[in-house]
Amino acid sequence: MSEQTLQGLIGKTALGDRAAFASLYDETSAKLFGVCLRILKDRAQAEDAMQEVYVRIWRRAGSFRAGQASAMAWLVTIARNQSIDMIRSRQPASIEFDDAPDVADEAPDPEAQAALSAEGRRIDACLKELDADRAAAVVGAYVEGSSYQELADRNGVPLNTMRTWLRRSLIKLRECLNR
Amino acid sequence: MSAGAYSNDDNALAGEYVLGVLPADMRRQVEQRLAVDADFAALVGSWQSDLSALDDAYTPETPPRGIKARIEAQLFAGAPGANQPAGGLWASLAFWRGLTAAAIATSLGLAAFTFIVNERAVDPAGAPALVAELGAPGSSVGLVAALDPASGALQVTPAAFSPEDARALELWLVPGEGAPVSLGLVPGDGGQLVLDESVSSRLSAGALLAVSIEPEGGSPTGAPTGPVVLSGALTEN
Repeated sequence: MSEQTLQGLIGKTALGDRAAFASLYDETSAKLFGVCLRILKDRAQAEDAMQEVYVRIWRRAGSFRAGQASAMAWLVTIARNQSIDMIRSRQPASIEFDDAPDVADEAPDPEAQAALSAEGRRIDACLKELDADRAAAVVGAYVEGSSYQELADRNGVPLNTMRTWLRRSLIKLRECLNR
Repeated sequence: MSAGAYSNDDNALAGEYVLGVLPADMRRQVEQRLAVDADFAALVGSWQSDLSALDDAYTPETPPRGIKARIEAQLFAGAPGANQPAGGLWASLAFWRGLTAAAIATSLGLAAFTFIVNERAVDPAGAPALVAELGAPGSSVGLVAALDPASGALQVTPAAFSPEDARALELWLVPGEGAPVSLGLVPGDGGQLVLDESVSSRLSAGALLAVSIEPEGGSPTGAPTGPVVLSGALTEN
């Protein structure tokens, strides 16, 4: 399924075309079910999530803008947000974080920068600028939909330390991505 | 828009939101900000775009067959006509309920919309006056439409943005039931849209006004065909 075809199906869905919506489901439901399962880690909940995900897709199709994101990335974002909202709703709704100044870690050394591969995806290259455990935390958080508490437990550090780590990693990552 | 112009704090917060690590209350706070802060919304968009490369990690798995039927039952049961091109989406109450700020981010760069319905003093004739201000972040007010109850004319201020070349902004009345009714093209420099009495009499409490992007000259079909960029409900004084 080409990007162009997916875009066309989303566009027709925005106009209320049920047949296009059915095709969109057929083409994308396996990927999005994979997203829901990975984050929710529970089949019944992933099935419930899928129902809400496609209802949202039907209702929000008009907001998709080709060029801002690929069609599949837009769909995955909806599935991730739904799944993450579902697991967060079962966890404490708020956490008292300490206020910590956001100071970026020291700039990466020139050699590390030079080692950045010109090939491959930018995000991969930029993740390599982070310490391995920090990069793993970023990727794990994204793919698994981990909470700060889960990341802190996994890394054996206090909650606020985990947040400081991750925020510094994000700032560093953003600097690299913008270069 | 470069994401480099933002503070470390905003960069990190946008990244935390896209990663999904925040607790529920902070996620809601971020989403509220997304609705009103177009620059911040663009920053979140950058993170979503950059991190989407990690989506390869999600292994596809075919869902059980029953799910598709459940979705279609939820969306389409008791909603005949919902598959009519254009009309279905517009006529769908669910669509309007779901028309959240994030849902109408547009090619105009609006990340969200807000609208304020002002109460205006009752005019000397005593008829109710209706004023709707349709605003967007990054610009003070997108468009103001005011109904003059004496003449039945709709006074439209200049829209604070312009559509792309060969595009027009068309104003619609979206009734609670039935198809949207065109109120005319939004004049580029403001002005009056003189409405038939049959149309102006329908501008009452609860009716929604919406602006869509259409081809030059307006919708060729008589129904909205382009994305909704502004929307707001009318109330009676």
